Amino acid sequence: MTADIEIRNVSKHFGAMTVLDDLSLFIKAREFIVFLGPSGCGKSTLLRMIAGLETVDTGEIAINNERIDHLPPGKRGIAMVFQSYALYPHMSVRDNMAFGLENIGMPRDLIDARIKESARILEMEHLLERKPGQLSGGQRQRVAIGRAIVKEPKAFLFDEPLSNLDAALRTRTRIELAQLHQRLQSTMIFVTHDQVEAMTLADRIVVMNNRKIEQIGSPMEIYDRPATKFVAGFVGAPAMNFVEAMLDRSSRNATARFADGIAVQTEIASDQTIDGKYTFGIRSEDVRIVPAGQGNADGVVDVLERLGERTLVYARLGDGQQIVGSDAGNSRVAVGDKVGLAFDGRKSHLFGETGRAWHAREV
Amino acid sequence: MRAPAISIKGRAFGDRVLLALVILLSLVMVAPVLWVIGLSLKENAELMANPNSVFHAPYTLKNYVNTIGTSSVFVWVFNSIIVSGGLTLGTLILSSLAGYGFARLNFPGRNVLFVIVLFGLAVPEQAVLVARHQIFSMLNFHNTYHGLILPGLSASFGVFLMTQYFKAIPKELDEAAMLDNASRFRTFWKVLLPLTVPAQATLGIFTFLGAWNDYLWPLISATKKDMYTLTVGMASTQTNFAQSEGIGFLMAQAVFAGAPILIVYLFFQKYIVTAVSGAAVR
Amino acid sequence: MDDRRATPPTALPAAGVRAASIDIYAPQWRNFIFVAPFLFFFTMLLLVPLFWGMWLSFHKADTFSSGNFVGFGNYIRLFHDKVFLQSVWNTFYFVLLTVPTLALIGLFLALCLNRRTRTAAVLRTLFFSSSVLSVTIVTLIWRIVFIPNVGLLSTIYGWFGATAPAFISDPSLAMIGIAIATVWWCIGLPMMLFLSALQQIPQDIYEAAALDNANRWQTLRSITLPSIKRTFVLVVIVQIVLQFQLFGQAWLMTRGGPNNLTKPIVLYIYDTAFRRWDLGMGAAASEVLFILILMAAMAQYLVTRSKAGQA
Repeated sequence: MTADIEIRNVSKHFGAMTVLDDLSLFIKAREFIVFLGPSGCGKSTLLRMIAGLETVDTGEIAINNERIDHLPPGKRGIAMVFQSYALYPHMSVRDNMAFGLENIGMPRDLIDARIKESARILEMEHLLERKPGQLSGGQRQRVAIGRAIVKEPKAFLFDEPLSNLDAALRTRTRIELAQLHQRLQSTMIFVTHDQVEAMTLADRIVVMNNRKIEQIGSPMEIYDRPATKFVAGFVGAPAMNFVEAMLDRSSRNATARFADGIAVQTEIASDQTIDGKYTFGIRSEDVRIVPAGQGNADGVVDVLERLGERTLVYARLGDGQQIVGSDAGNSRVAVGDKVGLAFDGRKSHLFGETGRAWHAREV
Repeated sequence: MRAPAISIKGRAFGDRVLLALVILLSLVMVAPVLWVIGLSLKENAELMANPNSVFHAPYTLKNYVNTIGTSSVFVWVFNSIIVSGGLTLGTLILSSLAGYGFARLNFPGRNVLFVIVLFGLAVPEQAVLVARHQIFSMLNFHNTYHGLILPGLSASFGVFLMTQYFKAIPKELDEAAMLDNASRFRTFWKVLLPLTVPAQATLGIFTFLGAWNDYLWPLISATKKDMYTLTVGMASTQTNFAQSEGIGFLMAQAVFAGAPILIVYLFFQKYIVTAVSGAAVR
Repeated sequence: MDDRRATPPTALPAAGVRAASIDIYAPQWRNFIFVAPFLFFFTMLLLVPLFWGMWLSFHKADTFSSGNFVGFGNYIRLFHDKVFLQSVWNTFYFVLLTVPTLALIGLFLALCLNRRTRTAAVLRTLFFSSSVLSVTIVTLIWRIVFIPNVGLLSTIYGWFGATAPAFISDPSLAMIGIAIATVWWCIGLPMMLFLSALQQIPQDIYEAAALDNANRWQTLRSITLPSIKRTFVLVVIVQIVLQFQLFGQAWLMTRGGPNNLTKPIVLYIYDTAFRRWDLGMGAAASEVLFILILMAAMAQYLVTRSKAGQA
């Protein structure tokens, strides 16, 4: 029932505009893969191409090694959950789920059995006779998933399915989706612009930007070793700190020097780097707040964000550059204080002019 | 305008003047109808002697009894029901299919064809009347039901209305149906058409009313008395106004013909108003 | 209804042959089936008669045969026919009488009845109710109002010892009588159009004006009327198109008389084509009417298009 999906050199144009440029990707069977990227990066288009709702201009898409991009959407053996759910408003939940099975001429008793089973999995037996209009947002979402499950598809496609839910429900549904994947052991492709959804759900994340795939990797790979400056900035909240830097490559590990003389000793191998301008990057949790004068740099606190388990400190360096650091939840630091910032060299990143990234040696 | 939050003397006076004007206008609306109803309840001889007799008894239902007993009004009502009903049904079918086609499907020449259909909105009946009459003469369509129904089927308004309505339905529903293996026709029939019921009601009532009240085409196409529609039939009796049968009888016929449509109006008011407003916001 | 097999069975592409990827929105001839039935009737009953009519207008024709080609002969005869010129004038006169009246009374009623009260709802229903009646009933009602002796008008004048004006037989009043009946019949549509325009004005503008201490007259002049300017133009054009087609009222109330003074163009067409059976000339007259209405319809199209004109 489950299947792998291969996308080979796929491109897509709308008129003169290129939406996807020579994209290749292999999705393993039973994998939960997330397409992550800002709006307009082509992630939804790619999903709709797999579904058959958009044309593939060049390249091929195959499921289990069989080309499917010439097949109509219904014949591809996939199911899709739309952002708006697209439930048939005049049909009961049961009829919504039965419609696709009736269309392939499945016998009634088999349809009923499938609906019963799916309703049980999703704990919505009591909703079967209702119309979508009588359901809450979360229930509708569940029905949309149910409509996909009954088809027992080779793969599930989700197009930002959580974006219409409120925050609390979104978190809960996220967990349920993860459990569902565990249980069905089915290939799932999930499109989102929300990095938290991507991090929590994905086996692998495909970060997309500007017609291209920026990086494919497990959530922790994406987070710890972002392949490009775009990925580093897009994933993680607050966004990674970026500072323009010159590189001192004289010793084994490179040292980053900021404009006003601040130096950070990284654990990035000098001999891997090349000549040119760099951007130094570091996440807020890797910038510790220390007494003034004891860190790599000193700054004046602009803003404090108390998150409970930690405190985000927005400090301004002498040249006006803002750096977000992190302190204990019960931090005593106050706005206007002068604090020291200690950068963790092992967690430092460097980005070249093309956006390419260098990371610390792996231990 | 909103009711004023604070009552100021000048405003109250202005309100009263406006109210008086509106009441005067509504009297102008109602009085002629009441007059007709009054006349229909009187003996002819008494009316001729003194029209003021309308305001007092004796009243009689004799004119209504005569209407039901003698006039061809039932035949005409029957004809009108066949013609209006047939045209309404036909319009709903053609407009729904074409509306879905134009709103959702792609076929060679679609946009050009839609513009031509829109152009049809600007063609008045009178511009095609003469030629249509000649064509129908050649086909021997005059004095038949299809001769009365067919011209109305060429009206673009329904297609325009349904196209707009189909366009307002989210496209994801079609795509979901496509992923559910439904054919184009099944998507139309099972998924989208049930969602257009409000538009169907609006268009249906609009078409029915228009056909019921149509005068010009039935006048020139249905020339035999037993093929008259109610509108034409009623008009034909007006020629012997106030003479042979008497005013009361004519008025009873008018009430008899007008009351049902007014009752229908009161029932379907909401849809009629939507249809009327929708017709102009095109 | 069972069309599961509508999509052809999918065969894997033969080796070496690359099947094109599917495009569900590509133009396809079979989609044409949905619009074909309507287009058939539209073509046969509207487009063909439209061009046939143009063709007829250049011929001397009767019911069953189209005779000789006469070039612009019909049009020349038409514009030398005093009755036709009279009917064109009558039509314009009628439009001039009814359209401003309908627009202004319609606007007045809409302004007064745009409230959420029960009375307003009842009155709205009342003012629109005449619109659902057929022209036959409307003219019957108004003839019985205007008729001497038993007429409502003469009865009312009788109470004051006066004689009612003869709205149907007096040459200078006949068209006005038809116009009154028409306004009574048609007032519902302009009122409804203005009402729907008024309801689209956002409430917060009024609230802001109230906070600015604007009185009712100022609010009307500086907020309400500018917001419905486009609707006003639209109503006027819609009414011009409708009233240009005057036929039933004139035919049933006055037969076009006295002295053709209430004979509109459509009645002229009817007389010429279907009573004198001069189809060619009737067709020519209907082309003239068509051009007049088409100009109004074009104006309407332009007004509807320029949404920017709306405040």
